[in-house]
Amino acid sequence: MALESTGKISSRLEVLRQRFLERAKEDIQQLRTLAEKTRRGEFSADGLLFCYQSLHKLSGSAGTFGLPELGEAAKALEKELKGQAESLGALDDVLSHPIDIPDGFADGIDALAELVEVKSQAVDQDSSFTEEPTTYKGSQGMQVSVLLVEKGEERLAMLEKEMAPYGFSFTRVDCNDAGALGNALAEVRGAAAILCRESALSDVMSIRNTSFEESSRRRLPVICLGSDNSFQNRYRVAETGAYAFFPDPVDIPELAERIESLAIERSANVQGRVLIVEDDAELAEHYCLVLQAAGIEAQAVSEPFHLTSSLADFVPDIVLMDVQIGDYSGVTLARLIRFEPRWLSLPIIYLSSEDDRENQLEALSKGADEFLMKPVSDSYLVRSVRIRCYRARQLSELMNRDSLTGLLKHSLIKEEVEKELARCRRSGHRSCVVMLDLDHFKTVNDTWGHSQGDIVIRTLANLLRNRLRETDMIGRYGGEEFLVVLPECDVSAAKDLIRGIGESFSELSFVAGESSFQVTFSAGIAAINDFTNGEDALNAADQALYERKRGGRDGVTVYSSK
Amino acid sequence: MESKQQNLPQKILYVEDDPDIRAVAEIALEDVGGFLTAICESGAEAVERAPEFEPELILLDVMMPGMDGPTTLQALRELDGMETVPVIFMTARLQKSEIEEYQALGALGVIPKPFDPMNLSEQIAQILADAVGRDFR
Repeated sequence: MALESTGKISSRLEVLRQRFLERAKEDIQQLRTLAEKTRRGEFSADGLLFCYQSLHKLSGSAGTFGLPELGEAAKALEKELKGQAESLGALDDVLSHPIDIPDGFADGIDALAELVEVKSQAVDQDSSFTEEPTTYKGSQGMQVSVLLVEKGEERLAMLEKEMAPYGFSFTRVDCNDAGALGNALAEVRGAAAILCRESALSDVMSIRNTSFEESSRRRLPVICLGSDNSFQNRYRVAETGAYAFFPDPVDIPELAERIESLAIERSANVQGRVLIVEDDAELAEHYCLVLQAAGIEAQAVSEPFHLTSSLADFVPDIVLMDVQIGDYSGVTLARLIRFEPRWLSLPIIYLSSEDDRENQLEALSKGADEFLMKPVSDSYLVRSVRIRCYRARQLSELMNRDSLTGLLKHSLIKEEVEKELARCRRSGHRSCVVMLDLDHFKTVNDTWGHSQGDIVIRTLANLLRNRLRETDMIGRYGGEEFLVVLPECDVSAAKDLIRGIGESFSELSFVAGESSFQVTFSAGIAAINDFTNGEDALNAADQALYERKRGGRDGVTVYSSK
Repeated sequence: MESKQQNLPQKILYVEDDPDIRAVAEIALEDVGGFLTAICESGAEAVERAPEFEPELILLDVMMPGMDGPTTLQALRELDGMETVPVIFMTARLQKSEIEEYQALGALGVIPKPFDPMNLSEQIAQILADAVGRDFR
C-alpha cells in the first residue's frame, strides 16, 4: 500500500472534482427543465420522484467535491419534497398525474445552477481548493504529536521521557530509513513539529523537502538540538532551514512551549464570519456566494430593521455595509450599531461607489472603518474580507486571552460557568467546575525568581490544554489560580482526570541554574448542576480548594455540603 | 494515543452506487488511508465478493437502488464469516431516529455525507476507537 504524496492525491481529487462539476451541471439542467414545469402547473409525480432522488444525490456528494453550499441548498430542496415523495413511493399508478409543489421550488432549483456556476468560476481563478482541507482545531482537545528523528546511536529516549509529562505524543523514527521517515511525515496525526539532533538535521531536511512542496501543511517545522552553541554553528543550522535551535542542556519547558505554540499556530484556521448589509438582494446573494465559496461564513441583511437581531444571532467578525440601504443611511446605521457596547470594536466596512473623498471621510468619522469600492471584483472581495476577519480575530484574541498563558481571562471564564449552567438546565447533563491553585507559589517566586514562576504557570497552562478536551474551557482566574469548566462530566470522572493531571505536573522538574525544583497543585471540584447560579458553584469549588489546601495540598477535593 | 493506527483494520469492503463518490472514496481509503479495499457498486456485488475478500470492515451507503444499505447488511450477515464484521453506514440523512435505527441493525456508527476525502480514514478510526470505549476519562 504505497502512500502517495499529498500533492499527487490533491491533483487526482481535482480531476474527479472537475468531472463532478460537469455532471452536476448536467443534473441541475435536467432539474431546471422539470422545475420549469411547476411554474406552468405541469409537474407530475414521476418528475417529483426524479427531482427528489437527484437532489438527494447532490446533497450527499457536493460537499465531498468541495461544494458544501451546493450540497446544503440541494438538501433544503430535497426536504421540501420529502413528504410528498415518500407518500408517492407506493402508488405506481398515479405517477403521471399533475402535482402541486410548494412555491419557490423552481427558484430554488435555479439558485442551484448559480451555485455551481459560481463555483466553477472560483476554481478557474484560484485552485486553492487542492490544499489539504484537513481541519486542525486548536491544540486543545487534540494531542500534539512530535516526530523524533534519530540517527544511529544518538537516541532521543531521554528527551522523550523528560517531555512525556507535558502530554505530547511522540513517534520515533530512524533517519537512515528514508521510507519510514517519509511515511511518518505523511501519516502521523496532529503532528506539529520534527525534532532531531544536529547530526541528523541535513538528512531530515532533505527528506522533508523532497516529500512535500513548500506550501504543504505537512512540511513540518524542524527543531534542532545540538551541543555547539557558537554563532557560526547556529548560523549554519539556520542556513539549513531549521525552525529553532536548542543547545544542550535542552531547556525542556521552553522546548515544550515552543512546540505548543507551533501547534496553536498550525491550528489557527482563520476563516471568519461576515454580515452583509445590502438592499440589492441579488448583489447581496452574489457576495454571500462568493464569500461562502471561499470558506467564509456570510449572511445578508436587506432590511435594516432586522440588523440588530441579525448581529446578535450571527455574531460576525466584520460587517460589510452598503452606503445607502433603501431610505436608510449606512453611516447612521453604523452609528446605531455602536450604540451597543459589545459592538464598539466590530469593524464596519463600507461598500461604496462613493468616490468623493470628503464623503468618505465623513462616513469614517461616524463609525465606519474602511471603504471597499464598488464594483468589487470577487477575488478582491474575498482577499480583503479574509484579511480583515483575521485582524479582527487577532484583536479579539488579544483582548480575551491572558497574555502569559493564552488562556481565557478571568471575566470570560466566569461567564463560561454561567453559560454551562444554563446548558445543563436545558439538556439535563452534568458538568463540573474546577478551581486549581499552585502550591507554595510564593516560595517558588521568592526562591527562584519571577521569571521561573512565569514558566511554571505557562507550563501548567500548556499541560491543561494538552490534556483536556476541546469542549472543556480553561481560564486563568488569578495570579496562580486556574478555573476549568468540564461539560458533560460528573464529579468522579472530573476528580480522576484532574488527579491524573496533578500527578503528571508534580513529576515535571523545573531547572534553575544548577538546581531544579518541582511544583504541585491543589484543586477543588463542584458539580455545577447542584447550584442555582454560577457564582455559588464557583464558591463551592473555591471552598473545596480551601479544604484541600488545609488538608495538605497536592491533590483534589470534591465539594460536599455538610 | 496508543497505536490507534495498528489496531485499524486493513481490508475494507465499500458499497456505493454513485460512480463519482466511489472514485473519491477509493482515493480516500487507499491512498490517504492506506487501506486495502474492495469497491462495489451494489449490494449484490458486495454479497458476491465478500466471502473471497474477507473484509475486516464494511462501509455501506444507505440509499441505493435495488438493495439498499440495511438490506445489504442483512444479506452479508447471512454469509459465513461475515456475522460479526463491523459495519459503518454512510448517509446524507442524519436524523437521530435513523441513526438509532442503523445502530439497532448492528452498525458501529454512521458517517455523514458529504464526507471529506482527506478526513474519511480518520472518521473511520474515530468510530472504531469510540466503539472500543476508549475514552480518556
